[in-house]
Amino acid sequence: MKRASWALFAGLALFFLAPLALLLWQARDPGLRWTDVWLAPESVQALAGTLVTSLGAALFAFTVAVPLALLIARTTLPFRGVFQAIFTLPAALPPFILGMGWVSLANPRAGLLNLLLGPGTFDIYGRLGISFVLGSAGLPLVFLPTLAALSRIDSSLEEAARISGATPLRTLFAVPLPLALPAALSGTALCFLFAASAFGVPYLLGVTASPPTPTLTTRIYGEILMGQGGLPRAVVLSLELLVLAAGVLVASRALARRGQVRLSSGKGVSVRPMELGRWKWPLTAAATGTALVLVVLPLLAVALTSVQPVWGQLTGLSAKHWSAVLSNPRTIDATLRSLLLAASAATLVTLIGLGIALTRRRSLELLAGAPYAIPGTVLALALLIAYSRDVRFVAFERVTFVLALGNSLWMLLVAYTVKHLAFGARNAADGLAQVDSSLNEAARLSGAGPGRAFFDATLPQLRATLTAAFVVTFLTCVTELTLSVLLIPTGRDVLGTLLFELQSYADPGSAAVIACAFVLLVVLLQFVQSIFAPKEAR
Amino acid sequence: MASVQLEAVHKTYGSTHVVRGISLEVASGEFIALLGPSGCGKTTTLRMIAGLEALDAGTIRIDGQEVDGASGRVPPERRKLGMVFQSYAVWPHKSVAQNIAYPLLLQRVAGSEIARRVKEALDWVRLGPFGDRMPSQLSGGQLQRVAIARALVGNPRVLLLDEPLSNLDAALREELRGEIAALRARLGTTMIFVTHDQHEALALADRVAVMNQGVIEQIDAPQRIYQSPQTAFVAGFVGGANRLEGRVAQGRFVCGGVEFTLPPGLTAADGPAILAVRPEALELGGVGPSLPLLARLFLGSATEYRLQLGDTVLRAVGPTLDVKPGASISLGLKAAHLYPG
Ligand SMILES: Nc1ncnc2c1ncn2[C@@H]1O[C@H](COP(=O)(O)OP(=O)(O)O)[C@@H](O)[C@H]1O
Ligand SMILES: [Mg+2]
Repeated sequence: MKRASWALFAGLALFFLAPLALLLWQARDPGLRWTDVWLAPESVQALAGTLVTSLGAALFAFTVAVPLALLIARTTLPFRGVFQAIFTLPAALPPFILGMGWVSLANPRAGLLNLLLGPGTFDIYGRLGISFVLGSAGLPLVFLPTLAALSRIDSSLEEAARISGATPLRTLFAVPLPLALPAALSGTALCFLFAASAFGVPYLLGVTASPPTPTLTTRIYGEILMGQGGLPRAVVLSLELLVLAAGVLVASRALARRGQVRLSSGKGVSVRPMELGRWKWPLTAAATGTALVLVVLPLLAVALTSVQPVWGQLTGLSAKHWSAVLSNPRTIDATLRSLLLAASAATLVTLIGLGIALTRRRSLELLAGAPYAIPGTVLALALLIAYSRDVRFVAFERVTFVLALGNSLWMLLVAYTVKHLAFGARNAADGLAQVDSSLNEAARLSGAGPGRAFFDATLPQLRATLTAAFVVTFLTCVTELTLSVLLIPTGRDVLGTLLFELQSYADPGSAAVIACAFVLLVVLLQFVQSIFAPKEAR
Repeated sequence: MASVQLEAVHKTYGSTHVVRGISLEVASGEFIALLGPSGCGKTTTLRMIAGLEALDAGTIRIDGQEVDGASGRVPPERRKLGMVFQSYAVWPHKSVAQNIAYPLLLQRVAGSEIARRVKEALDWVRLGPFGDRMPSQLSGGQLQRVAIARALVGNPRVLLLDEPLSNLDAALREELRGEIAALRARLGTTMIFVTHDQHEALALADRVAVMNQGVIEQIDAPQRIYQSPQTAFVAGFVGGANRLEGRVAQGRFVCGGVEFTLPPGLTAADGPAILAVRPEALELGGVGPSLPLLARLFLGSATEYRLQLGDTVLRAVGPTLDVKPGASISLGLKAAHLYPG
């Protein structure tokens, strides 16, 4: 166990700590004053862009997600299961796809809504649009933890309020809302972090807007594209992003901890949903409208775009994009590459995560969770700096290991794996914590050695959590964009970069085809996963 | 069937000394109960015998062979033991029959033989028709029967049971207690049974080891534990005796400002002492001090009286009397035990 811990630690040091240290080292360029970079007008504008859009997205997600979670967890709102599934869906979709949907809907000249309602009615470009799209995409980050906290509140607490004379709606705001607030706020902080780290949506809706609205991530990307001269400035800017992320994370931890003190573990809690009375149908209508606008509409727009012969003109339907994309060797190559990379990364994440959880070392678990909290742009930049030239390790004087990862697909595999290790480690640790250790001990007493007992008794109990870790990692990696655009070897594509390129420059119709195919894949995989999920109420 | 010996076994967790020099000889085929309050180190002791915990000092031998001690430790899978856990520990992903077959599988028993022995084990615990069920389809009592069958099927040298009945409701507990006694009579396996329930221990075991704070206070046959408790703790834990701290003076016991006359046959030198007297050994209306009655609890076959003695509450059990709380009752000692104070 000890040797395994050290091996895992060494891996994380090599592929995460060392690149991060090198990033800081690079920022120490004598010819470059940090404050000059930070206070340059474009940088201030980018920072303002990041702050405004992230704050907007977080506030929007909070305002929408909390009432929805209250209705779904605590009341007899009709179709609760359907609503829950719809508002969870953005968690499994790349935000970029929602962004594409909104470009199709609300491009000021050619968006479908503007074609119907007159040009210029809606404009999705700019800070407001970025906030809105990132807020919808980050909705599950607030919605899911709030829902979880709410479902651990015993109904007798609400019933006491009802007997004291409160109406159902008033009761919702008086009892479950304050109890779930810490969870909701910590989710909101995560949503802020998610928005501040986002690259694809700010690029799509900010850089190509007129006038352009930069954010830190898109500025860093721009500096890197400028080559040698831009790199030091990119590094200094990424420090700003890193500090922002760390601050938000600390705040979110503090909020989450406040919540834990107050709520029960969830055992023996009985929830009897409240009747809504005459508010039932108005609230159902409101929830339906929200689901339509935030999730269904942009996805429908993507589907529609994929069958529109000419982008921005409502002129009949055509399958030409589908046949073009499906027969294009470039698409097929990128798809296969992405599937292979995502499957390998998901396997590695699951196995390494399990290994980390098995060492039961808190320090290792924390370290494994760190890369996920770091904005993808910063992580990619660190890896780029560390591995763009060969990294040589000399051992026993003669033997040299060469790690020439730069400009190869291995670089992407490393990046995907390191970034999402948190999924594997956290799921495996949660799963292990729930397995009664006597199951393993019973196998030992039956005559099984430690390894055999683990495989026969413990591992089968982890099937559901490990499958979940695999699927989540796979789905996130298969259209990963932020890391991919910076680390992709020249002349090759993965799905994320192809989507990005087609949508940004050339061919939104083909991009829509790929997005549609991905949404179908998500739905399919979630179905597969639901088969493996533990059956409740047995 | 095998003997088990513990010699001056110690275990510490961090700075807490949980097992403090336990020595115990279990003869081949014997049924020993480890009895004591929660947290006294019973489970830890059992787990050291099983090999699930390492001891810090001392020696454990099974059948004369050292399994833990100065010369190293035999891992649990090679000790050839069976264990029944408080939480059942029936594997939820295996059927009942697969659960029971597992130890045989690891012993490389042939397939047809496994089927026969699983069936036999299912019959031992009266689960004949349940072999194909999944654990999620069984009740708590049935799960614990599966665990017992699984622990016994491989002919273990010793069967270890850690509070196997305490997760069950009262009626099931009675029923399963009877079945364990019957199984034991039939198979004759050496058994070490951990419990905090004195009735279970006294009813089942050949000998009872009463534990307190990491040490064994007394090992004896159940009757002797009950009739001649050797320490005030054993008297209090096993018989529910009242514990009075006071002093002996000229054949009397002085405590809380009152005096009891010691029953005939009980003598002690003058000086500080602890008197243990069971509730049913207090004679209501007998010759002795009058104490105020705090409460009267009707138990069915008898009535319990709570009386104030100094700053302690004395429990006495006897026939139902027509007295109200606030009245006084005189108490005599029918029988008692004295321990050095
Ligand atoms: N793994 C452990 N780490 C620290 N303390 C423990 C551990 N296991 C048991 N203890 C402590 O040792 C004491 C004895 O525990 P245990 O043997 O389980 O008692 P019993 O079974 O008699 O109730 C308790 O105070 C318990 O808190
Ligand atoms: Mg115990």
